[in-house]
Amino acid sequence: MKAATWTGVNEVSVEEVPEPQLLNDHDVILKVKQSVTCGSDLHLLGGYIPFMRAGDVLGHEFIGEIVEAGPAVRNRKVGDRVVGAPFAACGNCWYCKQEQYSLCDNGNAAPGITEGLWGQSPGGCLGYSHAMGGYAGSHAEYIRVPYGDVGTFVVPEGVSDTRALFASDAASTGWMGADLAGTKPGDVVAVWGAGGVGQMAARAAMLLGAEQVFVVDRIPERLQQVREHVGAEAIDYSRTDVLAELRERTGGRGPDVCIEAVGMEAHSSGSAGVYDQVKQQLRLQTDRPTALREAVMACRKGGSLFTLGVFAAMVDKFPLGALMNKGLTFRGAQVHAQRYIPELLERMERGELTTEHLATHVLPLSEAPRGYQMFKEKEDGCVRAVFTPGS
Amino acid sequence: MPLPKILARAAGLATEAGSGALQQLQHLRLPGVGQASVTDDPDTAARRWRAVTVLTDPEQLRTETPAPLARFGDRLEVRVTPAPGDRGAELAARFRSPVTEEELGELRSALREAKQRIETGEVLRNEPQPHGHRAQTPQGKALDGMDERAAKEGVL
Repeated sequence: MKAATWTGVNEVSVEEVPEPQLLNDHDVILKVKQSVTCGSDLHLLGGYIPFMRAGDVLGHEFIGEIVEAGPAVRNRKVGDRVVGAPFAACGNCWYCKQEQYSLCDNGNAAPGITEGLWGQSPGGCLGYSHAMGGYAGSHAEYIRVPYGDVGTFVVPEGVSDTRALFASDAASTGWMGADLAGTKPGDVVAVWGAGGVGQMAARAAMLLGAEQVFVVDRIPERLQQVREHVGAEAIDYSRTDVLAELRERTGGRGPDVCIEAVGMEAHSSGSAGVYDQVKQQLRLQTDRPTALREAVMACRKGGSLFTLGVFAAMVDKFPLGALMNKGLTFRGAQVHAQRYIPELLERMERGELTTEHLATHVLPLSEAPRGYQMFKEKEDGCVRAVFTPGS
Repeated sequence: MPLPKILARAAGLATEAGSGALQQLQHLRLPGVGQASVTDDPDTAARRWRAVTVLTDPEQLRTETPAPLARFGDRLEVRVTPAPGDRGAELAARFRSPVTEEELGELRSALREAKQRIETGEVLRNEPQPHGHRAQTPQGKALDGMDERAAKEGVL
């Protein structure tokens, strides 16, 4: 079959690879209908997460049709149109029972690397390096999904492929941030990053009752989408002082909830951005936390901060003093998609949550290298490049 | 020595280096990294309990030693205690006498395997996976070595 693979730093190829097999009784195999680039892929692409092997199949956000199911699969059948969750989660361990699916004890078949890095291993993530289980990803004609009953969700008939696709990760991650940050009616929420996840976090905050929602970015097309499709207020950090702007617009308090949806390759137009770039390139820090620092400083006293952006290891100049003395609550997580996908699909069916606008570029799989190039460089207003392996 | 043989030997060394690097990473005590495997001397390492928490009734584990641990025979002591907060059972094991790093790695794998079999009914596999052309670079081979070693390393 054809698949888009990582072949080196900033190199994506389309290659002929073997088809996946059922390796466990709980597995399902999907024929992939659509699979989409995610901002977190860029950390793999750029070599910032150095656990990719040349030839690894990329992709973890996808929709497809079940074409094969293992003998222990009970609730899915061949022919089901399903959205897949990025993380392999067993559904039976203590973490899964707490609905913390990305922390599944059994989802990473090779947990030694992440236990060495982080002291504990989260679950395994499809198409996301050998540190996260070494699973082949979804930018392919077929994908194996471990624990098929837990990791796939039947899509209601009235929901289009492209709308449902984003329930897999962008919408579920965004929703998780707004939910676990404790957003409640009347809150003021600020989101850093107007990519797919940031937009979905903002939309989730609005649907959870936030009275005012801001999204911070610098890309005009993305800020326009925030205004048009999400209905939130856009702040262009390249044209204004974000901290001053937020204080001015919140009666001097700052947002109740701050959600960081940028991650380890944050940009900044100021000296902080230069500082972080230099330190990262010299390997004196692994991650650039520019947006995260700003979120800590912006958050109101006693407020809540959630990081959805992916970080790998170390950051420098993290304002821990502000975090502690302002009494902030700080949380983060990889996506517990299984917890949110059912509700999101229902909201998509009711028309409360639309995502099609994120798919700015729909391409055949053969154009995956160009898709990643556009996505990485944000060319031609690219918010997400969607690949259609079947076409 | 012919070039292909030299390259194969270099690749083999890189794989070993990757495996060794992961093992070393677990023993580093730099701030913020490598807080996984313990750094005890062999006697203490053998006698330290290594444990997983399994979401199951402790009685079930007391009745029958899980097969992956039973394979070690009487070289192991096995202990089962209820986990606090309705988290199931703490399944712990330790060697009766000094052992090698490799044997400790096998115990880590066995504990993880036991937990998976009880909680999910099977052991999750990740090989073979579809992949494209694997360039035979030293970095790539080192990662292969880490991958091979990963099941035997970690916090246990």
